[in-house]
Amino acid sequence: MAKKIVNSVRLGVFVLSGLAFLILLLFMIGRNKSLFGSTYLLKAKFENVQGLIPGNNVRYSGIQAGTVKNIKIVNDTTIEVSMMIDTEMQDIIRKDAIASIGIDGIVGNKVINIVPGKEHAELAEEGDVIFSKKPIDTDAILQKLSSTNNDISEIVSGLKLTVQRINSSTALWELLNDETLPKEIRQSAVNLRLTTSRAGMMANDLHTIIADMKAGKGSVGILLKDTTFAYNLNEAVLKMNKVGSQADRLTNDIGTIVKGIQEDVSSGKGPANAFLKDSVMVKNLNSSIDNLRKGTDSFNQNMEALKSSFLLRGYFKRKEREKESEKPKE
Amino acid sequence: MSIKSDLRSFLTLNGELFRFSLRFFRHGLNPPFEFSEFLKQCYVIGYKSLPLIGLTAFIMGLVLTMQLRPSMADYGVEAQLPAIVAIAVIREVGPVITALIFAGKIGSSIGAELGSMKVTEQIDAMEVSGTNPFKYLVATRVLACTLMLPVLVMLGDAVSLYGAYLGVNIHSNTSFILYWTQVFDNLVFGDVLPAFTKSFFFGFAVGIIGCYKGYNSSKGTEGVGRSANSAVVVSSVLIFVIDLLAVQVTDILGY
Repeated sequence: MAKKIVNSVRLGVFVLSGLAFLILLLFMIGRNKSLFGSTYLLKAKFENVQGLIPGNNVRYSGIQAGTVKNIKIVNDTTIEVSMMIDTEMQDIIRKDAIASIGIDGIVGNKVINIVPGKEHAELAEEGDVIFSKKPIDTDAILQKLSSTNNDISEIVSGLKLTVQRINSSTALWELLNDETLPKEIRQSAVNLRLTTSRAGMMANDLHTIIADMKAGKGSVGILLKDTTFAYNLNEAVLKMNKVGSQADRLTNDIGTIVKGIQEDVSSGKGPANAFLKDSVMVKNLNSSIDNLRKGTDSFNQNMEALKSSFLLRGYFKRKEREKESEKPKE
Repeated sequence: MSIKSDLRSFLTLNGELFRFSLRFFRHGLNPPFEFSEFLKQCYVIGYKSLPLIGLTAFIMGLVLTMQLRPSMADYGVEAQLPAIVAIAVIREVGPVITALIFAGKIGSSIGAELGSMKVTEQIDAMEVSGTNPFKYLVATRVLACTLMLPVLVMLGDAVSLYGAYLGVNIHSNTSFILYWTQVFDNLVFGDVLPAFTKSFFFGFAVGIIGCYKGYNSSKGTEGVGRSANSAVVVSSVLIFVIDLLAVQVTDILGY
């Protein structure tokens, strides 16, 4: 009898443990599907749900928040997705939250990802429709990828050619193998640094000069700043003005002189008139010039005679020969 | 000729089995119940089978995991190993392996027990003494089988998943909590409930076939052996047939 009771207890434990595992299994699944615990309903409208089915997970910022309850076609471009969200999310999800359809992993199930909006809107309530984002179209991505592939293949073939050219270029390899080059480059860099430091110094000097100028030091500074200098300059200008007026007077004087001469010429008196108008003097001048021409003619004859004289003939002949030999060269 | 006789014997078996089942539903489910005998049978059929079922289920889970790992690793989805093993074990491997082992152990023992009682005319004696042998022997056993196999399947699943956990941890390091989270995350009611439901049918098939074969055992010690043997064979085949039907039904229902 006692054994019978022990057996019954064992049997009871056996059956209960089996049922316990079943219940655990069902409970865990049910909890994942939001069947237990209170939920509230949120909606989102999409153009394309890309194979989303009731029971898919809904995540809020990556945390499991509920499941898709049903999917209803409202009209030809709008599909309304109802989501059962855990009540504990009621204090978190706001009206401006954005729902989008994504994939769990690379080849996983579809999921709805809800991300918070930028502004702090009011909390979403039962039956509210939250914003939705157009899902990423994998077909479009693949198409884009195909054109990208073509571009890449073109680039790669170009790159290949470039590399081949580089490989076959001896100049570049020489350049690369040249061990003195780095040293020179380093030297150049040192020089450059020196130059720049000098340029810096120069800039500093310039700066001090400008500062001095501003402060009124040096000639330029004096030029710009010294008031006495300016006064002197002013005086000089005044003097120059005075000189100018004197020159003016001088011109007037000259004018009167010229006038006098003109009067002399027109009246036929004075030396100027004699010079310009006297015909006897012109005759005398003419005969003088005539005499001069005669003198030079006879001089020319003398010179010809000299050329043909045996003393100087050699020289003139040589001169002619040189002239002759230069001509064909040109 | 031989095909014709085979067909006839097959149809005869079907008809007689159907009538036997009807008899079970007509007599077995009506009072008075042989309750203490039912509990005793439950203990023997259910509890006593646990070590065997547990061992095979454990090995099955472990082996399945280790066998699946290379293929999963090829696709780079080793992390999904717990999920896929859980689905395989809960949906198919658990119920079917458990039912087959159960058929081997319980089907044969029922067939042999009832067969030897039939051969030694104990059943006739029982009828003479006023007890209904059908109620006392058949109904209790069939009911016990029907109700105990689902329990065994559930425990077998649990042990099998534990074996799979060890299998996963041979090559990688997955925490116990992560493993179970992954298992539960990837299971749905459509995995558990049809499997649980069909295990009742498996249990009923094993029980009814064992009892039928034993109850209708032919004379002689040879008959006892044959009824034990054919009880195992027929119930094993029937388990697969029921499995085929079950998968069609769940497919149509969309699970």
